[in-house]
Amino acid sequence: MTDSDDKTLAGEYVLGLLEGAARLDAERRLASDPVFAREVESWRVRFAAFDDAAEPQPVGDELWRKIEAGVPAATSRAKPSPTAWSQFWNNLAALRATALGASLAALILGVGLGFAIRAATQQPTMVAVLLDGNRAGAVVHAFADGRVVLVPITSINVPAGRALQVWTLPSRERGPVSVGLMSEARTLQLSLKDLPPPGPDQLFEITLEPATGSPTGRPTGPVLFKGNTALAL
Amino acid sequence: MTAAAPPDSATEAQVAAALARCAAGDRTALRVIYDAEAPRMAGVARRMLRRQDLAEEAVQDAFMRVWRAAATFDPQKGAARSWLYAILRNCALGILRDENRFTSDEDAADQAAPMTENALAHLPETSALRRCLERLEPARRAVVVLSYVHGLSHGEMAGKLGVPLGTVKSWARRSLISLQECMG
Repeated sequence: MTDSDDKTLAGEYVLGLLEGAARLDAERRLASDPVFAREVESWRVRFAAFDDAAEPQPVGDELWRKIEAGVPAATSRAKPSPTAWSQFWNNLAALRATALGASLAALILGVGLGFAIRAATQQPTMVAVLLDGNRAGAVVHAFADGRVVLVPITSINVPAGRALQVWTLPSRERGPVSVGLMSEARTLQLSLKDLPPPGPDQLFEITLEPATGSPTGRPTGPVLFKGNTALAL
Repeated sequence: MTAAAPPDSATEAQVAAALARCAAGDRTALRVIYDAEAPRMAGVARRMLRRQDLAEEAVQDAFMRVWRAAATFDPQKGAARSWLYAILRNCALGILRDENRFTSDEDAADQAAPMTENALAHLPETSALRRCLERLEPARRAVVVLSYVHGLSHGEMAGKLGVPLGTVKSWARRSLISLQECMG
């Protein structure tokens, strides 16, 4: 395919004219091909004047409340503010009751924040877009230093008492290996310590399992999203 | 109708900074983006979906995705608002193409030419996009405007313009090549 075909293809993608496999293919390339991603961004910028010219519509606090209800509470991911800390230390009952939970949460969010920042500044070596039919649900980035991070890109409904379990297939002989478990869709560092670094065309998938993970050590629930790795250029 | 004042570089910087704070888990930053952009995002979605309730659903979906994916936004690769509106447009297209729950009867009844001219008239006179679109033949211009602004598919445009599907596809590609040459 020539450069000029790619430019036109990127334009068709931005116009919303690609459907089915062609659209999926463009989304995969957008995630893994920096040259194609630049073409897409150029078209977005060219057409941005249309978006800027849209007649603003009134949106109320009700819409904001729905959005707020759908994102995790600030304290579960954010670094606590000084005010929150002072209130925390001033409430001894709460301190006793939650000391363990709070330090765990602080540890987790500190680590999580580190991932997010590093994930945003480093180029992955391998990328997989996990799909459900034609809908992209999550992206797996494998970095040169051995970290493998899953980033959800759509909301995933997890019923009460269930969890999302992430699997990879390092080889046919070995079969699927669990690399992560989470109660809700969030950015997750996958645990591939005992496995070789992901190679090209390695399957990753997310299944719906009991809250404590699959009881058999193999996927038992429905596959929500799956995809194979490709080399990031 | 006059369009509201277009966003400036300060808005872009505000959204980019708020995205970095969202990536760190700060929910108040998501509200900053909501206050700055949600009305216009609803306007973009409404042109595609026609109904206010569906437009708000698209905006809601978009903010959920923005929150979850904020850490993946890379300012080296593109503008924050362009990332934001790409997510919104994908959400709106998802609702629009979900034919089990949405049929665009009203879209089918509207004429291509007035829809195109109306969208063009909302662009600032100085806009390169407007100037370059005006150089295209009306039918080819319509293909760009109806797909981007109103979210019409190749098939829907073929019906509206009364030409074969292949013709619409070829017009879209040629229009893109002309636009790229004209806009650089």
